[in-house]
Amino acid sequence: MSNFDSLAYFLPELALTVLIVSLVLASVLLKSDRDRIVWIISLAGLAVTAVLLAIQPATDQSIFMGALAVDPYSRFFKWIFLVATAVIIIASPYTKQLDGSQRHEYYLFLIAVMFGLFLMASSLDLIIVYLSIEIVSIGSFILAGFLKDDPRSNESSLKYVIYGALSSGVMLYGLSLLFGMAGSTNVFEVQAALVVLPEKAHLTLAVALLLILVGFGYKISMVPFHFWTPDVYEGAPTTITAYLSVAPKAAGFALALRILGTAFGSTGDLNIGDWSPVPGLAFGSVIAIFAALTMTVGNFLAIQQNSVKRLLAYSSIAHAGYMLMAAVILNGQAFGAIMFYLAIYLCMNLGAFLVTIFVHNRFGYDEIDDWKGFGFQAPLIAVPMGIFLFSLTGLPPTAGFIGKVYLFSVLIEAGQYWWLALVGILNSVVSLYYYARIIKVMFLDGEPTDETVTGHPVMTGLILMLTVPVLLFGIYWTPLMGAVQSSLKFFTQGM
Amino acid sequence: MIGDYLPILFVFLLAAGFALGALGLTHVVGPRIKTRVKLSAYESGVDPVGPTHSRLNVRYFLIGLVFIIFDLEVVFLYPWAVIFREQAAQGPFILYEMLFFLVVLLVGYLYIWRKGVFEWE
Repeated sequence: MSNFDSLAYFLPELALTVLIVSLVLASVLLKSDRDRIVWIISLAGLAVTAVLLAIQPATDQSIFMGALAVDPYSRFFKWIFLVATAVIIIASPYTKQLDGSQRHEYYLFLIAVMFGLFLMASSLDLIIVYLSIEIVSIGSFILAGFLKDDPRSNESSLKYVIYGALSSGVMLYGLSLLFGMAGSTNVFEVQAALVVLPEKAHLTLAVALLLILVGFGYKISMVPFHFWTPDVYEGAPTTITAYLSVAPKAAGFALALRILGTAFGSTGDLNIGDWSPVPGLAFGSVIAIFAALTMTVGNFLAIQQNSVKRLLAYSSIAHAGYMLMAAVILNGQAFGAIMFYLAIYLCMNLGAFLVTIFVHNRFGYDEIDDWKGFGFQAPLIAVPMGIFLFSLTGLPPTAGFIGKVYLFSVLIEAGQYWWLALVGILNSVVSLYYYARIIKVMFLDGEPTDETVTGHPVMTGLILMLTVPVLLFGIYWTPLMGAVQSSLKFFTQGM
Repeated sequence: MIGDYLPILFVFLLAAGFALGALGLTHVVGPRIKTRVKLSAYESGVDPVGPTHSRLNVRYFLIGLVFIIFDLEVVFLYPWAVIFREQAAQGPFILYEMLFFLVVLLVGYLYIWRKGVFEWE
């Protein structure tokens, strides 16, 4: 489709562009009450984007001459990004940590990051892949260092920049190898060239896959490219930590699954359900090793943590591992399981981080032992935290359990990689230890008191709202699974 | 197969030959007046000797960023101008595209202006 015709299918992104430009204008032109007005403009802009996304017309062509796809798959992820960004923006004025910072610029960067996430979810071209990852990364670097007076925040930002620059450089080298083999940056043309690759080039193909996995692995914090995660998550403002652990990770999965699945698939069509890699590539084994490493390292390092934020950072590495486990097979069922899990992970992880923000606002501490007796002081917040943690562990009757069942069933029904499913199940048991430790400290340690703690009603409301899907989808998950199934339609060149 | 790359070899040789030739020629025919300043290491006019952990004026970075705004504009304007006549025959879309781009850059210009980047004193 030509550039002009494409605009009709690009309205949500255009709305975000207009929003970003108007936020820049508002933040320099407004004289007083900037933070609040910019907050309102951001939320209004997100509402407009949501409406435009809902009424976006369907098309079976790619837009901007093969650069971007407008398909149900990308739209599913765009809803995830919208919800995550909206929750973070709503919670931000009630986060004490951000007091004294220029909140109006913070909203601007959040929206800019979200624009990049939208592009990541629908990119079909290696150049757009690189560009969209960079848009997200540069915004995240700034946001991670947003607490200018906090040395830990500065440190996390700098570490993030160095890791980000290195890994995107390595990924760029992998992408250039693909371009060298295919002579095109379009994923479908890359796929067509890789299928007929002569046997002597198979080593180059494996190297290209590994180098690209460095870049994608960095975005989803896959071991051994996870080293930035704990430090960045600990130093960044907690709202940003929550955002980074959910939205860019979902986008990383959306991008990695689509690009790897298409470019390295024996057919360029992801709609047919079955999937096998191009000849001469041990795709499944490579991903399986990374998945096993990611969950094990994430879980075992989480055990030793005493800071709740750092614990959740390591646990988010482990969750990336669980999702990678399904990516080993990469058939339609695996795509569905990962998308289902990401939607649930969005609710439970955001919820757990919001409770951390609540506790930080009220008491200003972060160590697990300081949470002693929190269950008695604020049952309205501690009980949802318990639900989020049980869901993150994967215990019934929470949504996390259903999500994990779908992930494991991918491996079991495929009848391959039994060892990986076993590693996953053992890891879930390990994770029970450190999640249950927080619950124990909250409810069993400390004395019952009559002293009650309340936070701002908006924070309490957000936390309770996020509890609803975590409980509901644990009992009645058909609507979510239906939405996932109807989103399993990918753009293909042949369509 | 390998013969296809022969022109690249020629380019390499030409580049190396030009570089060596130019350097050698100035060495042979150029007059040489040595002063202390001329013999010091080239560091954009800054004295290269001193503590390594010196602080740089933040203005260096600001000028760098402002330069990007004006420079990018020109970089994209040139190719746009080359195809303008051909594309404009099919409709005015190409004009709006560039206007949108310029407006976005203008907002960036407004931002740095209001933030006081141009106030030198």
